[in-house]
Amino acid sequence: MSQNIKILPGATVCEDCTLEGDITIGGGTVIHPRVTIIAEGGPIIIAEYCIIEEYATIIHKKAEKAETQETPPKPLFIGAHNVFEVACKLESSFGHIGESNVFECRSFVGVDVKIGSGCVIGAACQLTVPQTLADNTVIWGSEHHNREALEKQPTQLLQLDFLSKVMPNYHRLRKPNMHKRLPSRPSQDTAK
Amino acid sequence: MLKRQASGNKVSRQTVLCGSQNIVLHGKVIVQSEAIIRGDLANVKTGRFCIISKGSVIRPPFKKFSKGVAFFPLQMGDHVFIGENTVVNAAVVGSYVYIGKNVVIGRRCVLKDCCMIEDNSVLPAETIVPSFARYSGNPAKLITTLPEATPDLMTEFTKSYYQHFLPTTVS
Amino acid sequence: MAYLTQPDYVKYICSCGQLKPITNLYFCRHCLKIRCGFCICHEVDSHYCANCLENMPSSEARLKKNRCSSCFACPSCFHTLSTRATLARDPAGGDGKPPKKMYYLSCFNCRWTSRDVGIPDQPVASGGWPERTNPFTSRFNQLLEYYKAIAQQEKQEKLDKERKKFVTRGKYINLTDKTGLTGAMARNIAGLPSSESSSTVISNFVPSQASADVEELPEDYHLKEIDLKQITRMSQRTSCPELQPSLASRLSPRPRALCVKRSQRCRACDHNLTKPEYNPGSVKFKIELLAFYHVPEVKIISYETIKPGGTSALLLKLSNPTAHEMTIRMLQPEDVPDTEEEHKTIEKTLEKSLSLEKDVSWNACFPRRPPPSRAGSVGLPAVSLTLAQRDDAAEYDDEPPGDNDDIILWRKSNKLALRLKLTTDPEARVGTDAYFSFAIQYSYRNTVPPSATVVQHSDHTLYTTVILDLGKVCE
Repeated sequence: MSQNIKILPGATVCEDCTLEGDITIGGGTVIHPRVTIIAEGGPIIIAEYCIIEEYATIIHKKAEKAETQETPPKPLFIGAHNVFEVACKLESSFGHIGESNVFECRSFVGVDVKIGSGCVIGAACQLTVPQTLADNTVIWGSEHHNREALEKQPTQLLQLDFLSKVMPNYHRLRKPNMHKRLPSRPSQDTAK
Repeated sequence: MLKRQASGNKVSRQTVLCGSQNIVLHGKVIVQSEAIIRGDLANVKTGRFCIISKGSVIRPPFKKFSKGVAFFPLQMGDHVFIGENTVVNAAVVGSYVYIGKNVVIGRRCVLKDCCMIEDNSVLPAETIVPSFARYSGNPAKLITTLPEATPDLMTEFTKSYYQHFLPTTVS
Repeated sequence: MAYLTQPDYVKYICSCGQLKPITNLYFCRHCLKIRCGFCICHEVDSHYCANCLENMPSSEARLKKNRCSSCFACPSCFHTLSTRATLARDPAGGDGKPPKKMYYLSCFNCRWTSRDVGIPDQPVASGGWPERTNPFTSRFNQLLEYYKAIAQQEKQEKLDKERKKFVTRGKYINLTDKTGLTGAMARNIAGLPSSESSSTVISNFVPSQASADVEELPEDYHLKEIDLKQITRMSQRTSCPELQPSLASRLSPRPRALCVKRSQRCRACDHNLTKPEYNPGSVKFKIELLAFYHVPEVKIISYETIKPGGTSALLLKLSNPTAHEMTIRMLQPEDVPDTEEEHKTIEKTLEKSLSLEKDVSWNACFPRRPPPSRAGSVGLPAVSLTLAQRDDAAEYDDEPPGDNDDIILWRKSNKLALRLKLTTDPEARVGTDAYFSFAIQYSYRNTVPPSATVVQHSDHTLYTTVILDLGKVCE
């Protein structure tokens, strides 16, 4: 597998995590230790200001049947301001995850789940069947109740600010290795 | 592989102790492999005879204020058991508390002395668990009460766990 | 701790016949009997809110319908709501004014907020949340008053009847005859409502009438597509019985129900078995008479598989939780002398005859004997065993050599391990539960003098029956 990890300036990426394949990490994103990101079915692009916490796993899976595999492989694009809490797992290969979603602790999002923006996948919720989550959907509890939130989840800019200041004091970090913005990214960011 | 300390703490070498200068283990504490304690975010203090099992994450919680965000210190009492793969984001965990495996304790929860969270439960953020309560489910609800002798049961349990604890020597 | 995380393999028979693990049993030091939650009296000591840990006097709790005045539960998922602050800018172009802090309620579990249902933000952090009024409040109050009046009347009638009975029985002059004080006057003096007022409430009461004309259902009732996100679930409706909102937009925060601290009392002798400290955060007890601290504890170490007609070894651990040496003898459950027949003391019968007015029918408990269908018998040692007292410092001492023999496996301060032989019935069916039982005779030193006159400790010989669950009978 080709190792091609691009870290944009302003991103805080701990060294103690597993990154495999073609991965782009946007500016302002914080990746805590013991995170696993594997891009085997195509590149993974993580936009700005995401938080990925300990033991979180993001896998872009290879399509099971060879003929459905697109060439060139479609990238998995994860929008800005997403929060992946401790030990959550994302396997969605639906090309696009919206922005301002919260994947709570120990949640699981399977392969055929399409996620809009402003959604909350509650702690320990397992989304395994193919489905599409509309914007601002909140899923919670063992019975997977869902409701629509009034507004988008608030951004974690203040937390990101704190983390990007504090984490370099305690952790070995991976150095940013990119200097220019990627042309393929939608233009709603304000990354420096 | 085990780090044995003068205080009687037994800490596996495969743990991730971030900001270890901010972590206080008050003696005879067991931290098993793959556990993460995030002392870099805020202070973490445990009492005596605490057991932090494999793969669990102890993480001080944050709170947003109108001006910025702060991570709260995480305090834990004596004789606390935390099961495997459990995530603890609580602000306070009292003494004689049993937390099962695969549990999620939400941000800024307060677990009073003598309570029990069953396996696979999820405690939403800012839950306050009263004494002698037994919580279960997702979201966790009070299902029954604990016997009055719980402090003695927990003390006996954590002490004998500590005395009989044999670390695996697989490096 | 195994008691909390595992099924109960060892159960004791309570004096009322219930089977319970030792942690759920109490031990009355005055009756010298094991009691359980089913045969004791539970009393509410204090009301408190489990969320804010605020104590509430019982009169106030009754007034507030046992709900906290400052904590709210989410109407959507029943988690406790948190108060959140926002900076609200004056919409009327009030520039120059600093933004004001406004508060709203929000649920961290399902992200429900008080804004979802249009409750305006409040300028103060606690209280002041609008309550949805029940449209039938006045009718409710009417009914409540009516039933109160009826209850009052019935009580009065009963009292009158009793007095009459008394008058006919005794030939003494009663207070009314002597002083001319009538019942109505006595009620006035006592500040009780006169019977006249309650009778007016009863006579003025209008019973509700069933009506035949009901509002028509809307035309599109069966045709309209349902949006599940806008309709409440059954649990959401029943959590608010007086309103039962059917639309999610009609949900409103519910004040949180209070918790109680309770003390427990022996029904036979009225002594407290447990009494917690008043402070809601405390886990200590003023009185804590648990079987766990007074009755020898039996634990299963291991056992061989149970086969019909075979014998298997059983390793048990016995421990003495008391501060005195204990002599233990193991018996077959049939050999326990029947102590149920109470040797009634004169004081007790006298006390009973004096407390005529007290209705004691409620505190009678009906003992039952569980038929322990046993898979076989336990071979028990004929000797009596001595268990040392509990010593918390013992764990720091070096182990003295134990007196190992063929029955006692090892000894460690107040504990000892026994090797017993189980004989399974040849008729025991494969796959059925393998229950075994035995009784323990143990000496117990009561440190509480039964009355002020007796000062010295008294030693007793007590019995308890234990049932072991050893899985299933195997082939």
